[in-house]
Amino acid sequence: MIKRVSVWLDNEQHLAYVILVPALILLLGFAYYPAFQSFRFSMLRYNLKLPNRIKFNGLDNYIYVLKDPVFIASVLRVLYFMVIATIAVMVISLGISLVLNKKFRGRGILRAIVIIPWALPPVVNGHLWKWIFNGDYGALNGLLLQLGIIKDYHFWLNNSFVALNLAVFLFVWRYTPFITILFLGVLQSVPGQLYEAARVDGAGVFKQFYYITMASLSRIGGVALILTLIASFNVFDGIYALMGFSESTKTPMIYNYELTFEMGRFGRGSAMAYLVGFFLFLLTLFYIRMSFQKDKI
Amino acid sequence: MKARPVYKIFLGVFIFLIVFWSVAPLLWIFISSISERTELYSKPPHWIPDNPTLKAYKTVLITGESFRGGGGIAATDLLKKGIINSLIVAITTTFLVMFFAPLLGYAFSRLKFKGSQIFFYFIIGIIALPSWPVLIGLFSVFSDLHLLDSKIGLILLSFTFRLPFETWFMKGYFESVPGEIEDAARIDGCTRIQTLYKVSLQMVMPGLIAVSIVSFLSTWNMFSAPLVLTYTLKSKPLTVTMTEFIGQYFVHWDLMSAATMISIIPPLIIVIFFQKYIIEGLSAGAIK
Repeated sequence: MIKRVSVWLDNEQHLAYVILVPALILLLGFAYYPAFQSFRFSMLRYNLKLPNRIKFNGLDNYIYVLKDPVFIASVLRVLYFMVIATIAVMVISLGISLVLNKKFRGRGILRAIVIIPWALPPVVNGHLWKWIFNGDYGALNGLLLQLGIIKDYHFWLNNSFVALNLAVFLFVWRYTPFITILFLGVLQSVPGQLYEAARVDGAGVFKQFYYITMASLSRIGGVALILTLIASFNVFDGIYALMGFSESTKTPMIYNYELTFEMGRFGRGSAMAYLVGFFLFLLTLFYIRMSFQKDKI
Repeated sequence: MKARPVYKIFLGVFIFLIVFWSVAPLLWIFISSISERTELYSKPPHWIPDNPTLKAYKTVLITGESFRGGGGIAATDLLKKGIINSLIVAITTTFLVMFFAPLLGYAFSRLKFKGSQIFFYFIIGIIALPSWPVLIGLFSVFSDLHLLDSKIGLILLSFTFRLPFETWFMKGYFESVPGEIEDAARIDGCTRIQTLYKVSLQMVMPGLIAVSIVSFLSTWNMFSAPLVLTYTLKSKPLTVTMTEFIGQYFVHWDLMSAATMISIIPPLIIVIFFQKYIIEGLSAGAIK
């Protein structure tokens, strides 16, 4: 019996399907089917608090969300968030990866240190910075006071524009290590002879940087850009911990959670999730195409 | 090129800035967690505590002195149960990944079967599924399957969402190691499964470690899914319980810092010991 099973399993097709079945069941049950379910919800009048009044209402939820001023404000907010965050992540990651690409003692330790912010739970990241930004006893206030930059302690998070930018800062702090590592991987694969040859040909430091360093980063740069845009759109944990549902940092992700799970509006929440998701889906498709191109070359 | 002093100074300044940027916040949380409350609540704060103490850790883990509010749940329970739940979920997920990742990588790189392209895209396609539509639907699927508020539900969920990364990464890793030794083992009469476990596994081990480490970290760090799908201490992970600890109770910042330190110790240890694998895992399969 065991012998027969092992002979049956040794067939390429059989073995492959046995390996795949558990994965496919999980993916169907916990990813594709739920996505289909919420698509169905998005066309229902579905309030979790009024379970016996569920009714088909077509595109009403979508129209409601698109007209909802809170939603429109949250979209504008996240667009600002994405632009500032992406520029900052790209610039800082480039800087750090260039330093890490130099040879010096303790480079391995520095690399481990650089990854740390990425490895921590994002929600903890929010708690941690909330304490630092604290208006009564926060370290930021203490530091700025000692440096003579401010005269009095400020309640930074009470100013909505400052709070939004600090939320951006949190994301940048957490996400920079990831992009840094991507850049560093490419930089380290650039052969040193290339710079040697360029020097012999009389190229200065800036020309070398532009024509070799930047050129080698161009493809991964595109992937990194899209990844950062997607990730900055998706931020939830850090903002939730830092600001909760506060108006000043309410991005579509935060609003979607509030609408669906705090207010129980499953129908409207699903419609919003799909509107937002469609936009993200386009970005992701773009990313997948780019990184497959990277694989092929 | 000889290192000029100006260059050295610049490099030194940059290295200092990078270290400060990455660890200063954590250092401050650590200092907050071992400071006397009176020192912490002075303006400006004492950067280096005069009387370092572990009192805050003792309070959040053992004694749990008077916390306001909280609906009858002791704060110490909140953290201890959270730690245990998080460990169980993260470790089990990691074992599942360690078992399935090599199999999936092997199937897609070494086996020829009908529909392999389609199945591959079916798995990778999850990356393109945005999280909220899935999470809202999951709430109803979990409720139908009685998986709401269970550790098993969280484990299956986190494992499912690691699948694309595992598959993509391990497929690539298998393709980067030569298949000749496997062929030789096959000729010697090993079955495919024997070949996989006796020969291939050793060659892809570094990749497997990378995948496992990244899976542990991402499961330990998971927050929004358990926030929606769990509601008692039976299954809430540490990320959720510590958020409640900080949000619902009136908590002093020394205690909050101690709780934060506890939740970041596992990731810190992993980064220190496995940074090489993390870097490999991150740079090879740039997914999320």
